[in-house]
Amino acid sequence: MRRSWQMNIALTLSLVFLGLLILLPFWWVVSSSFKESQEIISRTPTMVPHSFTLQHFQKLLGSSDYPVYMLNSVIVSTISAIITLMMAVPAAYAFFRMRFPGREVMYRTILLAYAFPSIVVLIPLFGMFVRLGLVDTLTGLVIINVTFALPFSIWMLRSFFAGLPSEIEEAAVMDGASTLVILRRVMIPLIMPGIASVGIFAFILSWTEYVFTSVLIVSDAKRTVPVGFSGIIGQYQIDWGMLLAGASFAVLPVIILFSLVGRWFVGGLTEGAVK
Amino acid sequence: MRRSTPLAIAFVAPAMLLLAGILGWPLISAVILSLQNVRAIGSGGEMIGLSHYGKVLSDPTFWGAGLNSLIWVVANAVVQTILALITALALQQNFPGVRIARTWVILTWIVPTVVTVIVWRWLFSSSGGMINPLLMQLGLIERPIGFFNTPATAMATLIFINSWRWFPFIALMMLAGLTRIPSDLYEAARLDGANSWRRFTRITWPLLAPTLGVLLVIGTLLSFNVFDIIWLLTSGGPAGGTRTLPVLIYETAFKSYNLSEAATISVLATLLLMSFALLATRHISRSEAT
Repeated sequence: MRRSWQMNIALTLSLVFLGLLILLPFWWVVSSSFKESQEIISRTPTMVPHSFTLQHFQKLLGSSDYPVYMLNSVIVSTISAIITLMMAVPAAYAFFRMRFPGREVMYRTILLAYAFPSIVVLIPLFGMFVRLGLVDTLTGLVIINVTFALPFSIWMLRSFFAGLPSEIEEAAVMDGASTLVILRRVMIPLIMPGIASVGIFAFILSWTEYVFTSVLIVSDAKRTVPVGFSGIIGQYQIDWGMLLAGASFAVLPVIILFSLVGRWFVGGLTEGAVK
Repeated sequence: MRRSTPLAIAFVAPAMLLLAGILGWPLISAVILSLQNVRAIGSGGEMIGLSHYGKVLSDPTFWGAGLNSLIWVVANAVVQTILALITALALQQNFPGVRIARTWVILTWIVPTVVTVIVWRWLFSSSGGMINPLLMQLGLIERPIGFFNTPATAMATLIFINSWRWFPFIALMMLAGLTRIPSDLYEAARLDGANSWRRFTRITWPLLAPTLGVLLVIGTLLSFNVFDIIWLLTSGGPAGGTRTLPVLIYETAFKSYNLSEAATISVLATLLLMSFALLATRHISRSEAT
């Protein structure tokens, strides 16, 4: 497509504006986590660090429980993502490729659950988890994370199933394959990008979950990164260096994961919006 | 589409049971709790009818939080939609690196909220923060502003931070709506000599409007539910200036330990939100039909 020069200027300006808006905060945080403490809180902030130190990272990993939080987060997010997939893939397949009574009603309920004000169930859920002995357990967190990841995951998988030509499935039926075999041998390999997208969605959701974790987790050793981290923010004297180092670290796993499958994730997100 | 009911039920059942158990049942419990008189979790309560509803509805704090929620939702919807529209229109174009930009634009959304909170708390702070020196250099302000010190600036700052987190997500959905517009429409308009502004107002805007409508609804519902950003940055303060309904629910339950009253506010908030969702989706499906 050809563009007029006015359009080119508008495009360049908006891209620069958006780039700064999104990237500058991250640049400041990551670059500042290597600065000496005096430079971090200096009255005239620096764009490029004048000093370089690893002391904030040493302090974070050496004298705080941050490594424990990281480990908890990795465990909870990985398991949550796997269970979400195990539940969402068959459910999405049933919703979008099979006919059964109650299909419409259930599908609408799922969409409603996506917009549900989660804080509403926080109180009764806490009571329920107390009775079930799930308070202060990572299992409890996995249950919560899977529940909140499910509605959007099922909805997102819809576009991937819808994108498959039905001839492939019909051919497999002709060959006498059962539904389970078709799903496992034919469909799942074909929607691998969808599975990756939903997996990363569930992982990110669990990695960033704060509200329920802060209420359901009592002991320090069971905390995840967001909650363990906010414990440090609340302290009277804020150690910005350590916080910025922690922030850089909390972003790292998501960045790594996203660089592997981010393209599929965004594709799934946008296709899901269209269909 | 094949018919195999037992298998389909088996496929759907685990997900539906989990949703029913973790969302559906607690919602019913919240209604029951709101009719009882319970303070601590686990302690029994007696049925006291609708008296909590009377108390909450005559409490100015509830209406104040309701008004804050309204301001929060509307302002977020406006800011997010404008930023998202600029982003979507830019990402629709072809330029070097557009594929990378389309993927990584969502960076603000994949980062933990707690990190977002730390980043912006630091940037807005009066010592070492970047925003105040920047605004002073641009000559917009003379002295550093305490962004979280007055109700109005705290609300505005939170709205900015929340919109910053969500606008790329909305933008990608909009981009999907944009790519659905057939390109031959633009070609025809170009042959007729329509400039880019006319192509935008005559083609892009009307064809994107239904998508925008849906996204406004989704954005509204998602913004209403935002709790962690507000709680971690201002805890509803100063002077209750950023206390939205979710913050009030949390405070009532976990600060003043009044579970039944918190459940009452929850039920009222859910009714409000769900009736909005219902009205909005009905309105959208009607405007799509015409």
